[in-house]
Amino acid sequence: MDIGDCYVGWATDEDIRTRGASGGLVTAMLAAALEKGLVEAVVVLKKLGEFEAVPVVTSDPEEVKAAAGSMHSVPIVLSRYLDYGTKVALPAKPCDARSTLEQAKRGQVDIDTTYIVGLNCGGTMHPAVTREMLDVMYKLDPEDIEGEEIDKGKLIFETKDGEEHAIKIDELEEEGYGRRESCQYCAVNIPTMADIACGNWGVIGDLAGKGTFVEINTKKGIEILQNAIDAGAVEITPADDKGKAIRAKVDGAMMNVAAAANDKFLAPIEGSHLDYYMNALSDCINCGACKTVCPVCACGEGAKCTDFSSASDTYKMSLFHLVRFVHLMDSCIGCGQCTDVCPVDIPLTHIYQRFAVPMQEEFEYKPGMDMTTPPFFGVDLVEEGH
Amino acid sequence: MAEATATGTTGTDEWQPKIVMFCCNWCSYGGADSAGMGRFQQPPTVRVIRVMCSGRMDPVFILNAFLEGADGVLFSGCHIGDCHYVNGNYKATIKYKFLKAMVNELGLEDERLKLDWISASEGERYAEVVTEFTEQIKKVGPSPLKPEGVI
Ligand code: FES
Repeated sequence: MDIGDCYVGWATDEDIRTRGASGGLVTAMLAAALEKGLVEAVVVLKKLGEFEAVPVVTSDPEEVKAAAGSMHSVPIVLSRYLDYGTKVALPAKPCDARSTLEQAKRGQVDIDTTYIVGLNCGGTMHPAVTREMLDVMYKLDPEDIEGEEIDKGKLIFETKDGEEHAIKIDELEEEGYGRRESCQYCAVNIPTMADIACGNWGVIGDLAGKGTFVEINTKKGIEILQNAIDAGAVEITPADDKGKAIRAKVDGAMMNVAAAANDKFLAPIEGSHLDYYMNALSDCINCGACKTVCPVCACGEGAKCTDFSSASDTYKMSLFHLVRFVHLMDSCIGCGQCTDVCPVDIPLTHIYQRFAVPMQEEFEYKPGMDMTTPPFFGVDLVEEGH
Repeated sequence: MAEATATGTTGTDEWQPKIVMFCCNWCSYGGADSAGMGRFQQPPTVRVIRVMCSGRMDPVFILNAFLEGADGVLFSGCHIGDCHYVNGNYKATIKYKFLKAMVNELGLEDERLKLDWISASEGERYAEVVTEFTEQIKKVGPSPLKPEGVI
C-alpha cells in the first residue's frame, strides 16, 4: 500500500455492512482502530433525530458500530474535547479536516496522533431549515422521514411508507432552502488533506452502493487502513481507472456549481461597503457565540477580540468583529458555523469570507489544505540577512 | 465656528484632522525629536504614541484609534534592516498588508492608513511625512467611523 493508492473497500461484518453507508468501511475502520489499540478514542456522530447529530468522543468500539450510517455534522473544535496528544481517529468532512489542520498549526492538536478519516462532502443542511423545507417544499411531515440521499442533482427524502420524494437541489436553493449557504460555495468536496479520503463517488459496477472508495493520502492513512485489514474488519480491492475518472468527474462538476454559487453570493457589494457592514453588524449583541464555535480560533479565554471590546461600547462598529475580520483573514475556512449559531442571524460566514478570500488568493494560501504556515506568521528570522 | 475664529481660539476655520501616529522608540520617536530640535514646521494634527518597535503594532490599536475618532492613522518604524529587534518592522509590513486590505474592504478610504519608515536622524523627513499625511486626510475629510459628538 502506498500513498496515492486508491481502493474500494467494505466491512466484513454483515451488520455494519448493511447499516453503514456504502459498505460500512469507515465504521469498521474506526472500530478496528479502537479494538487494536491504534487509537484511544474515536469521534462519532450521535444522532439526535433524523436531521441532527452531535459529535461525541468514545472509546467503546460498540458505540462506534452503533453510530454507523451517514450523517454530516458541523466541524468540531477537537482541542476542546481532548487533551493534546490523545490518539484519536476522527471522521471528517473537508471542513472538519481543514479546521483540525489549522488547530494543529496553532498547537492545539497533535497532528501526529490524530488520524483524520476524510469523508467526501457535497454540502450539509441546517436542521431547522430542513424541517421548514420539508413542510413548505415537499409538503411532508418532518417526523415521517426515514432517510435522505442526493442523487443526480436531486435531494431525495424517503418516508416511512417507503416512498421517495425528489426535488431538484437548484430549485430548492433558488427558494432559499437546501444546503447551507457556505456549503453552496465551498469548492472542496474530496478531503485531500485528510489521512485517508473516503466516499461513494467512483464505486461502480457490482460494488455500487456496497463499497467505499478510499484514497490514501498519508502514512497515517496507510496505518489505519492496514490495521483494519489485519484485524479482519475490512476487505479491499484496487479501484479501477474508470472509477477514479468518475470520482474526479463528480468532483469537477461540484466545483463548477460551487464557483457559480460563489459568484452569486460573494458578488461585490454595491454602494457603500461601510454602510453595508455597519448595517449588518448593528444587530450584534456581543454574545461571542461565533468566536466560541470558530474552529480555527485558538485564542481561548482572554482573546484580543473579546478583551478589548465590551457590550457597553458605543462605537459605530463592533471592535470585536473588526478584530476578528483581520484575525481570520488568513485562516477562515468558511465552515459556516458562526452563521449557524448567531442568535440575531447576521450572515457572519459570508462577511468573514469577504475579507478572507481576497487575502488568501493574494497569498496563494488556502487554510487547512496542508501544514504550511499561514502568511500572518510567516516571518522568517533569517530574512533580511540577520 | 465663525465666533471661535473671531475670538482667536482656533486661529483658522479650516477643519483640522485628528491623526494618531505610532512611533517606534528607537528610530521614529527620535525622528520626532530631531524634527523639533531642527525646528521643522509641521501641522499640530498628530498625537504621537510611542511603542518600543513597529512590530509591536497590533491591528487592535489601529482599529481602536479609528473607532475612537481618529481621521487617520500613521505608523512608522526604523528603515527595513535597521530594526533594533532584528525584524520587527518586517513583521509590521505583513500586518500592514492585512490591515490595508481589511480597511479597504470595510470601505474606509485607503488614504487613512499609512506606514512609513523614519530614522532618528530624519527630522526633516518626519515633518514632511506628517505634513503630507495631514494634507491627504484633509482631502478625504472626517472619518465616517468617528463617534457622534467627537470632533
Ligand atoms: S525598533 Fe524601530 S522598528 Fe523595530
